[in-house]
Parts: sequence; structure tokens; C-alpha cells
Amino acid sequence: MRLQRILTLLPAYVVALAAMAVTLFPIAWILSISLKTKRDAFAIPPVWTFAPVWRNYLALWDNDAFRGAVFNSCVVTVLGVVLATLIAVPAAYALNRLRLRGKRLIAAWLLLAYMLPEFLFIIPIYVLYQAIGLYDTHLGLALIYQVHVLPFAIWMLRSFFAEVPVELEEAARIDGCGHLAVLIRVYLPMTLPGLAATAILNAIWIWNELAIALGLTFKNAQTITVAVTSFRGYASIDWGPMTAASIVAILPMILFALVAQRWIVKGLTLGAVKG
Amino acid sequence: MLLVLGATSLYPFAYALFISLFDWNWGRSMSFIGLANYTRLLGDVEFWLIMKNTLVFATSATAIELLLGLGIAVAVDRLRFGATLVRTLLLTPLMISGIIVALMSKVMLDSFLGIVNYLLGLIGVGPSTFYGTEATAMFTIVMVDTWWQTAFVFIILLAGLQSLAAEPREAARLDGASEWRIFRHITMPQLAPLLLTVLIIRSIDTLKVFDIVFGTTGGGPGLATEVAQTLAYRTAFAYLQIGRAMAVMVLFSILVLALCALYLRLGSERRD
Repeated sequence: MRLQRILTLLPAYVVALAAMAVTLFPIAWILSISLKTKRDAFAIPPVWTFAPVWRNYLALWDNDAFRGAVFNSCVVTVLGVVLATLIAVPAAYALNRLRLRGKRLIAAWLLLAYMLPEFLFIIPIYVLYQAIGLYDTHLGLALIYQVHVLPFAIWMLRSFFAEVPVELEEAARIDGCGHLAVLIRVYLPMTLPGLAATAILNAIWIWNELAIALGLTFKNAQTITVAVTSFRGYASIDWGPMTAASIVAILPMILFALVAQRWIVKGLTLGAVKG
Repeated sequence: MLLVLGATSLYPFAYALFISLFDWNWGRSMSFIGLANYTRLLGDVEFWLIMKNTLVFATSATAIELLLGLGIAVAVDRLRFGATLVRTLLLTPLMISGIIVALMSKVMLDSFLGIVNYLLGLIGVGPSTFYGTEATAMFTIVMVDTWWQTAFVFIILLAGLQSLAAEPREAARLDGASEWRIFRHITMPQLAPLLLTVLIIRSIDTLKVFDIVFGTTGGGPGLATEVAQTLAYRTAFAYLQIGRAMAVMVLFSILVLALCALYLRLGSERRD
């Protein structure tokens, strides 16, 4: 009986282990190349054990353009998330009060906004930004990112707000609280984890976005994803700096994910599972 | 408030429609040419080839990701210990930007020095040129997208599986139904609405693919991997034909909308 149970579970473990190996090996391999000398990086057969060298990372640190891009990505991500949250919180609160009608409305809007391809937006915004001087600025990029993540942010927050018992809100009202006070004293404290999950998912999306940044920035506000595209051309020659730059771009988001794993899973599944 | 929000989505679409009626190269002169951009595109063999590429990429990547994601979700759902750790680790590709995934794949899949060709060589396969030839480039990009996004399908379906009521399955098991029949006749129907949601999300995402094509082949070799969004980018920022680029995006948006409407239709018909 015991043996039989192990045998029925065995395929599940094999599948899980295989999936993990395929998922993690490329990341580990790229990390290892970023820490190798040039000769080791290109060695065939590959070198599996080596003493790590930090030269590639030090070279990145000395690269003003790359350092600037990391800084720009940080500024744009923080600004975009703050703006989106400031608008999404009251919008989600208002829509939550509309109950079912509100839900259908954002669902339709979310799907529609999601369907439209990036370059349909980028070029009209490019024209607009050139005219009003927001092209290649942190604020300009953050504003358009905020517009992009907003439907998702509102959708998520509304679902979290919907879990707050109506009785609490009514009690607060009887105590003389207005809309703003209800929002700040009742809803926000109760949905703090949800708010964090929303902000984190938005931050990851903004940090990783390429197409919009490519279209709307040039030099001053160039983000990290645009900066690494310069490695495309000589990918076959210069693996060291390219892999190091990749790791620098990946690492903050992976750390984020490890710390907030539970919330991220909740956020990702919320929209789809609850429908 | 809602009107303002709606306007931020509608303005670009309206403006895109407007520009698509002009011949414009970012310069001062902008001449109205009516529907000429559209008629030229619709009569252009290259445009149809690129639309075909986009559909081939989207359908194959979505199909493979759905199958794999479902398989892994079912497996992880059965794990007795370590499930949370497995879930966390499997999620990592989703945290990585598409352009980084593209660059990583170029290092891994290098024809001569890449680790993947070396490993394939050990089991007597290959070597493959991956991105280098028309025959393999599209397949390679599909595989890279699979590595990147299968975790999304997996995480949603796993959450779905974990939220299903256990009683029907246990009752069937007591009646002596085989695991496969239980999966086929009880689990799958319960999971169907979620599968449709994931299908729609992944279809939209893969149709809009940009980063991993831009970062690997740039559409080549030839036009073998050129897709709608890389075409729009090239037309607008390399060939400076803005009206034409907007016409590409408008036509493409209609295609995406039509496909989603079709899926939603099929979904609601099944439910009836």
C-alpha cells in the first residue's frame, strides 16, 4: 500500500523536478558566465567550477550610461507606482460602491485596454510628448506607465475592497465619517497586504517594460531595459558585460518576488480565479 | 472620473485612426491620403506573411504553454511536501523582462559556444543554429516564450485546482473511477472557465509579442520571425512611415479584438 502510494506520487515529483531544472538552469548559467573570465565563459566543453571574478560588474559600475539607466528605472518605477496607487485607490473605492455594475465596467475596460498593442499607443503619445516637452523625461514615462497599469491596479484593489464587510463601513458612517475618512480609516488598514501586492506587481511590470520605454525615451530617461538592448548586436562577442547587466536587471525583481511571494501569487491569481 | 479614465485609453486609439489616414514621416508636411495606407497593406504579400507569422507564433506558443502549464499544475497540486518552494522557484521567469530573456537565450543558444548545443551534443543531437536559419528561428522563439511564460499558466491553474471542491473527486474515486477518468470528466470541466481565461490572456500576450523577437532575431532571418509589433516599430522608427505604421496597428487591433470576441463567444456557448 505504501509502495503503491509512492509509485502514484512519483510522476508528480519527476515532473516538478524537471520543470524546476529547466526553469532555473538558464538563470544559474547566466549568473555563472557573468562571474567567469572571458576565456572560461567561452570554453567548450564548458567550465563547471571556477573562481568568481567581479570584473564584469565593476565595469558596469564604471559605465555612466548603464548606471544612469538603473537610476532612471528606479525613479520611473517608484513614480509610476505612486501615481497609479494614488489614482487607483479612490477609483476602486468608488467602483466598489457600484458593486456589480462597477465590476463589469472595469472588467470590460481592462480587457479592452489590455488587447490594444503597445505601438498603437506609443506613436500618438510620442507626438503628444514631443509637442508638450514630456518626451524623454522621467515624469512623461511614469505618466504613461501609470495609465497602462491603472486598469489592473483598480481591478485588483476593487476585489480587495469588496472583501471588507459593509457593516464596518456603516458603523464608521454612523460615527460621522465621510467618504475620505471611511477610505483611510476602514478600507486601507484592512487591505494593506492587497495594496502591497498591487504595488509590487505594478512595479515589476514597469521595471521590465521595454516597448514603451524604447519609443518614448532617448538619453535622459533611458531605462535599464532600453540600455541592455545595446548589447544585442555584439551578443556573440561580449558575454561578460551582457550577462552581468542581465543579472543586475533581474536581481531586484527576484528579491522582490522572494520577499513578497505570497502576495504576488495572490495578486496574479486574484483577477483570473475570481473572474 | 470614469470618463477621464476612459479618455486616456480612447485618445490614443482615435489619434492612431486619424494618423493612419495620412502620409507622414515625422516632418512638417502631412498629406491626407484617405485609405491608401490600408489598401496598400491589404494588397501587400509581406504584410500577410507577417500576420501569418504572428498567428503561427501566438497559437503554437499559447498551445504549448497551456498544455505544459496544466501538466505542471496538476503535478505540483499532488505534491505532499515542498509544493510552496516549487511554486516560488517556478515563478522566477515571470519576474524577468522579455528583453533580458531574449539576451539570455542568445548566450544559451549560441550556435558554436552555447551551452544548449553542447548539452544536446552529449545526447547525440544537433548542433542547431536556432536563430540562424528560417526553418528553426520561429520554433526557437516559441520555445523561449514557453520558458518565459509557462509559469503564468501554471500559477493560475494551480490556484484553480486548489480551490476546487474535493468531494466529487473523492466520490468518483470511491466508485472506482481511474485517475485519468476523474481528471477528464470531473477536474477538466470544473477548470474549463479558468482555462478559457488563461487562453485569452496568453493569446493576447503572444499576439502582441515584441521584446523577445526584437531582442533575438529582430524579425529575421529574412522575414521569418517578423511579427505585427516589430513591423510597426520598424515602419515608424526605421522607415519613418508613421501613417502606415498606424494602419498596421489598427488592422492588427481589429484582428486581436475579433479573436477575443470569438473566444468569449465559444466560452459562453459552452456554458449554455
